[in-house]
Amino acid sequence: MFKYQFRWDVIPNNLDFLFSGLNTTLILSALTLVLAMIGGLVIALLDMSRYRPVRLVGVGFGEVIRNTPILVQLLWVYYVLPIVFSLRIDAFTALVIGLTVYQSAFISEVYRAGIQAVPKGHREAAQVLGLTQIQAFRRIVLPQAIRMTLPPLASNFVQLIKFSSLGAVISVTEITRRGMELSSSTFRPLEIFTFIAVVYFFICWPLAMAIRLWERRLALR
Amino acid sequence: MPGTAIIAAEGVSKRFDTHEVLTRVSLSVAEREVVCVVGPSGSGKTTLLRCFALLETPSEGRVVMDGQVIATSEPTPAIKKAGRVVRANIGMVFQHFNLWPHMSVLENVIEAPMLVRGLKRKDAVAVADRLLDKVGLSDKRDAYPGRLSGGQQQRVAIARALAMSPKVMLFDEPTSALDPELRREVLLVMRQLAAEGMTMLVVTHEMGFARHVGTRVVFMDRGEIVEESVPAQFFGSPRTERAQRFLQQFED
Repeated sequence: MFKYQFRWDVIPNNLDFLFSGLNTTLILSALTLVLAMIGGLVIALLDMSRYRPVRLVGVGFGEVIRNTPILVQLLWVYYVLPIVFSLRIDAFTALVIGLTVYQSAFISEVYRAGIQAVPKGHREAAQVLGLTQIQAFRRIVLPQAIRMTLPPLASNFVQLIKFSSLGAVISVTEITRRGMELSSSTFRPLEIFTFIAVVYFFICWPLAMAIRLWERRLALR
Repeated sequence: MPGTAIIAAEGVSKRFDTHEVLTRVSLSVAEREVVCVVGPSGSGKTTLLRCFALLETPSEGRVVMDGQVIATSEPTPAIKKAGRVVRANIGMVFQHFNLWPHMSVLENVIEAPMLVRGLKRKDAVAVADRLLDKVGLSDKRDAYPGRLSGGQQQRVAIARALAMSPKVMLFDEPTSALDPELRREVLLVMRQLAAEGMTMLVVTHEMGFARHVGTRVVFMDRGEIVEESVPAQFFGSPRTERAQRFLQQFED
């Protein structure tokens, strides 16, 4: 019944080609994570602003981004943004912008939940002792919020790495795109896409595990 | 009555939306006084204390410390600045302790002296060790708050407030969140503080403490000060009917 002849040698024979794509995937993910962590903070601060119009901008932006598909957003950034603003952006930049915006909208919710989970009394205790708002935020709220945001942040990072594969659709030569190219020249999609899935798994899984361990160590305090 | 006024509320009202919690309350606390504020729940005791602690802005009236206005309904920049300057001289102990769970006991106590007073770590630790010894928790200095009993946490919270060498200590029902058997250790520390001459304003349901440690009792009901006298008189022969009714609850 299962007559397919696996030819795994296609992988080692083209390892350099595939790993050049992996390199792009990792750079892309790391860069986007850093940007999205900053972007998420900006949106979270807008969300929690004491000025209503500012709040509306933050909340509205988050809602639009969270409730439209990432693929459509990427295509929009790649095809529409350059026309609307008459810019030239290459596929890599478009992907970084798209992923950053998308992840920022989710990470902002993570931050907001983390910050709001710190009891008001902890801040009041700081205030009464004479700490400034900024000192109280930095020393009392943030360290506690970070602890609470670690697990959801980690799952966001894992999600980000996986979503970077969507770059293949707009011709960013990350590992999935490399796989598509290799598969069309060698006609070995089964071997290639199986291998690529395994590569993703062994990046994402240890990462998720490591953060779970870290989290447990913090919780033991 | 001993000493000069340290902190005073002058005609303070507080409204949350349309609900009036405090109605033109005036209360002055003099040096070395232990003023106990008692009254039924919802009488505005805690809100009054929070106005003194600058955690609530009065809707009317003002708060004065050492003759300087530190809070009004519409504070000028000068008043805000005065509030920021004196804030660290007002110690506060909360019903729910509010220790910072990510810091050890020692770190909880040295944080504000280092950040606000600019003490070197070594000096702040020396102060903290002395205070932790005073509240009987030297052996817990490296523990995290989550590992302590409520009574121990509250004693750390007292040490943390004392580390700023406040001129006045505000207590907001410091034993209400504690199991009865843990209240004593906290009350003993407070009693000791009073004996050392600390100026204290205590919102409490502990009638024993108010009677034996307080130098003055303030009875509040529905946002107003209804009665104010020395403990012996307040507990012996309360003048108002509302105070009499309130005290009856504690008899059986």
